[in-house]
Amino acid sequence: MSDHEELESTVAAWVLGALDPGEAESMRVHVEGCATCSQTAARLRRAVVALPLEVEEVSPPARLRERVLVAAAAARASSLPTAPARKRAGPVPGRWKPATTFQFGRLAAFAAAATVLLALLAGLFVGGLLGRGSVSAPPAQVARFTLVGHGALAAAHGTVIDLKSDGVTLVDFSGLPALDKGKVYEVWLITRGGHPDSAAVFVPDSNGSKVVLVNMPLKGYSQMAVTAEDGPDGSIAPTQQPQLYGALG
Amino acid sequence: MELYDRYAGLAYAVAMRVLGDPGRSEDVVQEAFLKIWTNAAAFDSKKGSLRTWLITAVRNRSIDYLRGRGAHERQELELQPELIESSLRSDPWHEVSLSLERMAVREAVGSLPAEQRQAVQLAYFGGYSQSEIADMTHVPLGTVKGRMRLALEKLSSYLQGRGLINV
Repeated sequence: MSDHEELESTVAAWVLGALDPGEAESMRVHVEGCATCSQTAARLRRAVVALPLEVEEVSPPARLRERVLVAAAAARASSLPTAPARKRAGPVPGRWKPATTFQFGRLAAFAAAATVLLALLAGLFVGGLLGRGSVSAPPAQVARFTLVGHGALAAAHGTVIDLKSDGVTLVDFSGLPALDKGKVYEVWLITRGGHPDSAAVFVPDSNGSKVVLVNMPLKGYSQMAVTAEDGPDGSIAPTQQPQLYGALG
Repeated sequence: MELYDRYAGLAYAVAMRVLGDPGRSEDVVQEAFLKIWTNAAAFDSKKGSLRTWLITAVRNRSIDYLRGRGAHERQELELQPELIESSLRSDPWHEVSLSLERMAVREAVGSLPAEQRQAVQLAYFGGYSQSEIADMTHVPLGTVKGRMRLALEKLSSYLQGRGLINV
């Protein structure tokens, strides 16, 4: 058998990925320069790409869709210009209590804007519209919490998705009432000691929905809450009792 | 998420076929979708269907997991199929066309002699090399090569005859 015949007899194994790395590289070089083998490889590869269709489709777990969505959002966020995280506010006298007796004190430090709003769902995978650059994609370590609305925000809801390995958190808000002119919603992270730190500001869309990136880890915080504050940057401390809040853990 | 909704079932099934492990299969599918997403701007739909790209990535990553290989060892050629495929059809026909393709592929694979089918499946879904397959099946290497070649030629011819691929 000639060298070419020997190589040509290996084309099928090559397109099936059944060669060792060294053999595969030699084969690749040969096929690139050999019209006959190149044609054979193209013909056989058409059969190879059909092989997965032999497999009986299996419905993936529902959580996988969320995982992909969250990981995609995190990758997208990492490709966006990032604003500095909002500064932690100073200590507040007394403990923060999301109840009717709740009262905020005034805080010392001004916060910097840090919200990156993500358009996550629509057209996420539409080519050309998405981020560039390579992003390694280790499986995200994800925790999920819920924010529940009360009072005027009784119809509001928030799903907190904590990407622990990435140090960022996504909050998917829905059912939020429209804001008065000049107002924004402000997200607060509450320490176990009851100190509120401003985490993000945002304005929901016309449907009362918004996905907000909280560009700071949740470690050390026990609750998340939302208040309506003066825009565009929000307040240095909550000026009202929150009516949308939940525990982080 | 249209792409996910359309192909997640197939992608997950391929990963499960290779890995047999739900957790790892989820990881692989997630990575494959992200790979498409992060490379979407560079993707040229004229050079291959997203489905082919996605499923090839799922299969290759699954095999890499299985064999303990790094993704860098994988030939880039395999992740960039340059084939024009007719899988991205309009939505109303998508399910029907995919179903027809599946039926044809199963029929085609089922029609192969058992030893040819085994050689192809061990390579594609098992990630075994031709030498390993020769050892496993106790036949000469040349026989394995011949079985693979015959199997793929038959599949190609069968699918071409049903208008599912253009040769």
